Amino acid sequence: MKKRISELFAKSDWIKPVLGFVVLFILCAAFSPISSKGTNIFLKFDNLSNILRQVSEIGIISIGMTLVIITSGIDLSVGSVLALAATLTAFGVMDWQLGFSLTIIVALFAGALAGLINGALTSWGKIQAFIVTLAMMTGARGFALFIANSNSRNIGFGEAAAPEAFKIFTTSFIGIPFPVFIFIGVTIIFSIVLRKIRFGRYIYAIGSNEEAAKLAGIRVNWVRTSAYIFAGILAALAGIIHSAQLYQGNPNDGIAFELDAIAAVVIGGTSLKGGKGTLEGTLAGVLIIGLLSNILGLHGVQKDFQLMLKGAIIVAAVLLQEGSFRFSFVRK
Amino acid sequence: MSCLEFKNITKAFSGVEVLHNISFGIEKGKLFALIGENGAGKSTLMKILCGVLSDYKGSVILNEKKVRFRNPREAENAGIAIIHQELNLISDLNVAENIFIGREPVNVLGFIDFKRMYTEAENILAEFNFPYAVKTKVGSLPIGWQQMIEISKALRLKAEIIVMDEPTSALSESEIKFLFKQIARLKEKGKTIIYISHRMKEIFEIADEAVILRDGAYLGTYVMSEIDQKFLINKMAGKEVGTNNTKPNLISNKQILSLESVSVYQNRNQILSELSFNLKPGEVIGIAGLLGAGRTELLKFLYGAYESDFKGELKFRNDKYTPHSPSKSIKNKIVYISEDRKTEGIFPELSNLKNSSISILASLSNFGFIRKKIEDKTVLSKIGELKVRMNSIHQHIQNLSGGNQQKVLLSRVLLVNPELLLLDEPTRGIDVGSKQEFYNLIDKLKKEGMGILFTSSEIQELLLVSDRILVLSQGKQTALLETSKTNSREILNFAFKETLQ
Repeated sequence: MKKRISELFAKSDWIKPVLGFVVLFILCAAFSPISSKGTNIFLKFDNLSNILRQVSEIGIISIGMTLVIITSGIDLSVGSVLALAATLTAFGVMDWQLGFSLTIIVALFAGALAGLINGALTSWGKIQAFIVTLAMMTGARGFALFIANSNSRNIGFGEAAAPEAFKIFTTSFIGIPFPVFIFIGVTIIFSIVLRKIRFGRYIYAIGSNEEAAKLAGIRVNWVRTSAYIFAGILAALAGIIHSAQLYQGNPNDGIAFELDAIAAVVIGGTSLKGGKGTLEGTLAGVLIIGLLSNILGLHGVQKDFQLMLKGAIIVAAVLLQEGSFRFSFVRK
Repeated sequence: MSCLEFKNITKAFSGVEVLHNISFGIEKGKLFALIGENGAGKSTLMKILCGVLSDYKGSVILNEKKVRFRNPREAENAGIAIIHQELNLISDLNVAENIFIGREPVNVLGFIDFKRMYTEAENILAEFNFPYAVKTKVGSLPIGWQQMIEISKALRLKAEIIVMDEPTSALSESEIKFLFKQIARLKEKGKTIIYISHRMKEIFEIADEAVILRDGAYLGTYVMSEIDQKFLINKMAGKEVGTNNTKPNLISNKQILSLESVSVYQNRNQILSELSFNLKPGEVIGIAGLLGAGRTELLKFLYGAYESDFKGELKFRNDKYTPHSPSKSIKNKIVYISEDRKTEGIFPELSNLKNSSISILASLSNFGFIRKKIEDKTVLSKIGELKVRMNSIHQHIQNLSGGNQQKVLLSRVLLVNPELLLLDEPTRGIDVGSKQEFYNLIDKLKKEGMGILFTSSEIQELLLVSDRILVLSQGKQTALLETSKTNSREILNFAFKETLQ
């Protein structure tokens, strides 16, 4: 029995973050404030679905980030791409009157283009991903500000304004907000990509050993570029949701989102060295961060303390997964 | 009296036992050869001794005291030093700086006391008649002397037990002789040496006793003067090792590959010049040459792994051919295994299965979806054919021994159903038993009509396996010899030809 458990731990990278999430969930339920009627506030359906809604933007970004980090790259531009897509969305439905579908296509295309540039410069230009995406982070933000003339653009409805279809992003189905369905759907699609699709296997191979991947016949540059393109598209998708939920496209939004996404990915057990990681883990990482902000918020803990705790959690999560700590954790 | 004793050592990696209850003692002042096939547990046992692995069952007893080193530094402080197969020297630092690295003598202010460092380094090296200045950059020394720097490092630590892991693998004949002289000196001083090597000749030349491991278990300690080579090999392998018979197995006169005065350029520098030979199905051509002769370059050029230009006429299957990229080569049924398993071969974090199937995933999938069952079946049958020793195909490849990793890589390229097989030093760091298995495999592949180009630093191996031998020297083709009509002396002469001028 002991042996089987240790084998399970050794085989599946996602067990630990998921277990961490479960433990945290139970702790949250146990230490939740109780309302005057005696109900557990944390466990209320509205609260739980609210957590999901809050994490879905970062969650969608984190999926793309996971792909890129598995290739042993990094994408610092996702926050700016989110802002760019949000701005384009607002202008698309309002000023340019592109309609629902075309606006979304334009925003996603902008994300894909940013990803293509990131991927191409890292792959064929042989510039470090950190630098390329740092440049894109600055450049995309600048472009968003240029489009919006440095102001945010409000989205209104009615005559000569945004199409009614756009409201889908703010409606709920069976009590669950629509963005949550997008988040779940995207997670499922990409976990299938990583597990069952050839492209997914290649992503791991590149991150594990790029030279060996090249010699094994993988077209490394194309695969890597595709990963960045997916990261760009997913950041743009999060940007569309962002603007729809806030009824505005603000070119100054999404600052430091890339860091939250990296934190979620790392808590989820993906190694920055590449070659290792799962979307199940990332999902757990996203939810861990979400639960934490929620429970602390319910208790009225201030933002300053929340941030300090978040920093500690990132370190603790990585310590639990890496190196010597693993041995004492699993074996004894 | 034993100065070092292993008692009931058991070690497991991710639930898999690799050392089973190993107990034996080692006497002071002798040279022990530690031998066993790849995967027998030699490296694991030495990692335990040197503090790299601290998580094991059983005990290590040093001078009648039980010890458990938590890191290499603790082991070094206790007088145990290891000299790795790959030299751990920093080529941009000088000789003295390398000897004292991490333990530099300092003055009261905490600055490095260079004067003391250089004099002490000179004293240590004087014993070896070191002919260079201690301020020479290590990178500019010949490899044999670099090895002596490693040994000096051990001596500087006042090590009593010195572990040498394949110390001769990168050395020339004369450098080996030199090394053995130094080893004899160390023994005179009462140092105990544990010597790991696959080269039987060397073991019989210098070892006092042999400790044999097989499949993670201790088989016994034997006094060298009482046993012979055959006994050792049979003990290690657990079975009789047969001899290989190679006969040309030419199926037809068709040619797989033909080169007609081909010269290869990289960044306008000529790296290979005027190569002319052809390869038929079912033929094995061995490529001989010294380090830097262009063996790897030739194979990588043919595989399209280099960005390079060439002049001359290159034909593949009787058609004009330009190597493009590894992915195109694989489509054309040309495959390559690198000499450097670790940096150009395996995906350490991935399973054996994924390592094996990576090059044929396209044929295993439908609309991009990998068909899991077919993948499992395909890989299992190939891995079974090659007799890879592993717990499961889902185990990470980095937990396998070097020889078994090499077999997984072989399964990767053989699954492509290649017509042309390019093997760069395929037997490097592989033990006698696995080598024999490899020769048998080459024989079988020949009969199936594959064309094989392979390189080896061991001339005996080239003579054993190839039908013809291509000799390169400084990027030039100096000979193309029929194996049956040549000998190692002739090959060596051609290999040195261009370097003598």
